[in-house]
Amino acid sequence: MSDDPSPPAPPLALSAVALTLPSAAGPVNILRGVDLTVNAGERVAVVGPSGSGKSSLIAVAAGLEDPTAGAARLFGQDLATLNEDGRARLRRGRAALVFQSFHLLPNMTAEENVATPLEIAGADDALATARDWLGRVGLSARLTHYPHQLSGGEQQRVALARALAARPALLFADEPTGNLDSVSATSVADLMFNLVAEVGAALVMVTHDQALATRADRIVRMADGRIAS
Amino acid sequence: MRPPLAFGLAARELRSGVRGFRIFLACLALGVAAIAAAGSTAEAFRQGLASQAREILGGDLSFSAENRDFTDQERAAFDKLGVTTYAALARAMAQTPSGERRLVSLRGVDARFPLAGAVTLEGAPNLATALADRDGLPGAAVEPALLDRLHLKIGDRFEAGPITLVVRAKLISEPDGLSRGFSMAPRLLVRRDVLERSGLLAPGGLSGRAVRIALAPNQDPRAVRKAVQAALPDSHLRVRDRLDSAPGARRLIDQLEYFLGFIGLASLVAGGLGVAGAVSAYLSTREPAIAVLKALGAESGLIRDLHLIQIAALALLGVTIGLVVGALAPLVLGQLTGASLPIPALFKVYPWPLAKAGLFGMLAAAAFSLLPLARARATPPSALFRRAPKARLPLGFETLGAALSGAGLAALAVATAPTPLAAAIMIAGVMVAFGLLAVLGRSAAWLAGRVRGLTRGLAKLGLANLAGPRSAARTASPAIGLGVALLACVVLIQSALLAQVSDVAPRTAPAMIFTEIPGDRVAAFDAAVAGVTGPLHADAYLRMPFATGRIIALKGKPIDTKTIKASERWAFDNDLSLSLLAREPNNAGVVAGRWWSANDAGPPKVALSAEIAQAADLKVGDTITVLVLGREIEARIAVLRKVDFGGFGPNFNLIFTPATLEGAELRSVAIARLSRGQEAALTRSLGEAFPGVNVISIREQLDAAAALFDRLALAVRGAAGVAGLAGLLVLVGAIAAGARARAREAATLKVLGAVRGQILLAYVIEYGAVGLIAGAAGVLLGFAAAWPVVVKVFEASWSVDWSGVLALLAGATGLATLGGLIAASLALSQRPAPVLRGE
Repeated sequence: MSDDPSPPAPPLALSAVALTLPSAAGPVNILRGVDLTVNAGERVAVVGPSGSGKSSLIAVAAGLEDPTAGAARLFGQDLATLNEDGRARLRRGRAALVFQSFHLLPNMTAEENVATPLEIAGADDALATARDWLGRVGLSARLTHYPHQLSGGEQQRVALARALAARPALLFADEPTGNLDSVSATSVADLMFNLVAEVGAALVMVTHDQALATRADRIVRMADGRIAS
Repeated sequence: MRPPLAFGLAARELRSGVRGFRIFLACLALGVAAIAAAGSTAEAFRQGLASQAREILGGDLSFSAENRDFTDQERAAFDKLGVTTYAALARAMAQTPSGERRLVSLRGVDARFPLAGAVTLEGAPNLATALADRDGLPGAAVEPALLDRLHLKIGDRFEAGPITLVVRAKLISEPDGLSRGFSMAPRLLVRRDVLERSGLLAPGGLSGRAVRIALAPNQDPRAVRKAVQAALPDSHLRVRDRLDSAPGARRLIDQLEYFLGFIGLASLVAGGLGVAGAVSAYLSTREPAIAVLKALGAESGLIRDLHLIQIAALALLGVTIGLVVGALAPLVLGQLTGASLPIPALFKVYPWPLAKAGLFGMLAAAAFSLLPLARARATPPSALFRRAPKARLPLGFETLGAALSGAGLAALAVATAPTPLAAAIMIAGVMVAFGLLAVLGRSAAWLAGRVRGLTRGLAKLGLANLAGPRSAARTASPAIGLGVALLACVVLIQSALLAQVSDVAPRTAPAMIFTEIPGDRVAAFDAAVAGVTGPLHADAYLRMPFATGRIIALKGKPIDTKTIKASERWAFDNDLSLSLLAREPNNAGVVAGRWWSANDAGPPKVALSAEIAQAADLKVGDTITVLVLGREIEARIAVLRKVDFGGFGPNFNLIFTPATLEGAELRSVAIARLSRGQEAALTRSLGEAFPGVNVISIREQLDAAAALFDRLALAVRGAAGVAGLAGLLVLVGAIAAGARARAREAATLKVLGAVRGQILLAYVIEYGAVGLIAGAAGVLLGFAAAWPVVVKVFEASWSVDWSGVLALLAGATGLATLGGLIAASLALSQRPAPVLRGE
């Protein structure tokens, strides 16, 4: 055991990340050399116009997409050294995602949706934890409802519970309120910030909503695939 | 105006191609192709028979008499009609100098034979040369199978009963071989005068005479036939004309067409789920567009017409593909088989079978497409703003159309079947099986939903998908189950019949039959048998007097065969075997009446087969008139009995009191249970003491039947496999329809930390369960369908080919699991980010 342990790696470190995707009109440069570090517990909002590469930034950072160039490190691990299964294991219980369109498993009830990642991670009390978290997001009465039986706001709250139930160190949120009406959006945003604070997770949130962005510790502005400020 | 607008919109939508409709097209094309190919092949055989009817009969008209010669009056009547050729037929034991013996069928022909077609020989330039006397011995043309069996070659001498013959040619084919039907004895051709002199045609034996007549080209054989029958009312001759030259072959073709057509129909029904699934999947992608059209003011009638036109156009395409394949397949078969087919065939494109198959296809498409269309038409415009709950099925044009199309499909199948009642039962069976499988699929989905709470993680995901709205248990399992049920039914029937022939019959049936035992030497014959087998016992040896006779009147009135069911008419068209017994024998099978006293000397009494009695509506106490040895005998029915032709007993349709034929010099027949060794020894020893006694080895016939079964088994199972293929297509369709959702699901699971192996396992659990459920249900239904056929129709013992059943079950589970692996591989092959972004 060392007397002077090196400081823990930041949850996320992107270095000169580029992403080029093919399209019918030829290759499209989505990300053009992005550098971004997110520290433990830090809440970062990523804003910018449509097509500026915000969502792609999350996809690369979470290991859902391979960068064309540069390096993406999640919890100090270079994602390029891992295959898809390795990246899935790295995310388990440590990094979670919330999407604009919820992406709940349609054939599973709310509690099953929340329990699934816990069960995948090998937790013993997955269902009890899921019920607890659904209670925290105000859905105790909706445990056995299927996604199509829930409103958009309710679905996003289930997604939030699913993401945070394992108490991850990093939460990616891609336009978490983008598909919700203003009342639901406010409620979901409050819930998200409160719960992230409670579990002590870092947050990388893509949003168009300036008011929501101002609730973050830091705002990163993107334009044309680069960080503008 | 609506129609042009609907057509225009439909044409615009169809421009995007048929990508989403591949399974729809494949399911329809498969069923239609099977029905069209079955119909076209059967028609090719029918036309082949019709085009060679004269060659198959060997002339335009044929008259035959059993156990007697034609009278002078009959000959005079025949000779007036046209050119005639007379033949004599007998059976005898062929024996080689080395002592090998085999029953043969001798045909004695005259110089004018054949009047139509040609005899194909090897080893002689023509028939006259082959049959001519040389060195004082007559020649014979012999079937190659007999030469092989007796180790004879051209030039060898052998005996056929009392005649010494020399093999002068191999008999490759006779022009009228097909009209002869199945024969237990290989054929020899000799000159008629040789047979006439031999003594084999003496009354009381199994012999016959036949005449073939070539009419003038302008004569109608049916009219001439009627005129002759009117002129010879008491002759009781068997008559055939060229329009009815091979009734057995025709029946076989009809049955074959129906069996194959039925499999095609079952494939259409199983594939119907694929059709419905494809239409549903397509229309669900169209829901936003339907909502937009409605928001723009389109009435639901326009929505219906627009999609109906598209579906009809695609159905037409699928049916056309099926018809092309179904029309071409028999042509290819004709090219591949060439002249090797046992029945002549004229392979070409026949419009009627194709029209019938096309109609089946369009009705199936309508029956299975209209309900999803009704649901899609009910999509509300509010679907633009929020996900609408699934619309309820509205009653109207589509539901009525689907019901009528389904009923039309069943009605067409029944109407075009050779035996409508059997067809109706089979179709009802398919409907019931399909309904049961659908209920089972839903129950399995429900159960999966209940038990998933007991599982965790990915196993739970597999069960949740099995319970979900797109569950393959609901869509694919009824189709797979129906295919498995058909295959299981065929496998079980075939294996039970094969077991009957190869295992059961050798134990229950006699090993040998002996005919033509002289009436005055029966005691010596018994002694000869006992010399080989040891003391004779009733359960292993039975000898009875024997004659043949034809039923010519019922209750005092001449028979009108038209009033008797076609399937039972044989009993009144042919001579039947009969015997005379004083005492009730073992295994008599009496079902009504009482056996007569052992010394009954009163008026003739008869014990009649209950099957024949039922066909002619006869009861105990009624009378029948039978023509035996030229005498018309009216006998009262004293007993009705069930004759077990496969068992060891008095297997005669008619048994009379001994006083009935008092004084007649009858020959006897005997049956015996023997080991293989005793069989060979007895055949040889009888050759010396009783050369005129014919020996028939049942074991040999059973071996031949078993070999034939084996050859047929693969072809029949292959045909039934078409229905299995339809089930597989529906599974592929279900996988394809859910591919997008699966990809999304897999991407989400990856986001949640699941690795590929776990996702694969979840899908394998789901689809493996579908295969296992469908396979097990299909096998059970196959049992339910096969049992009555084996036990009631064929009256065979029930036995189960467990290896075949397990293979089917494993096959269904394995294929479905493979489907799950393919579904998982497709879902996992996509990177998660683009899939999730595309939401």
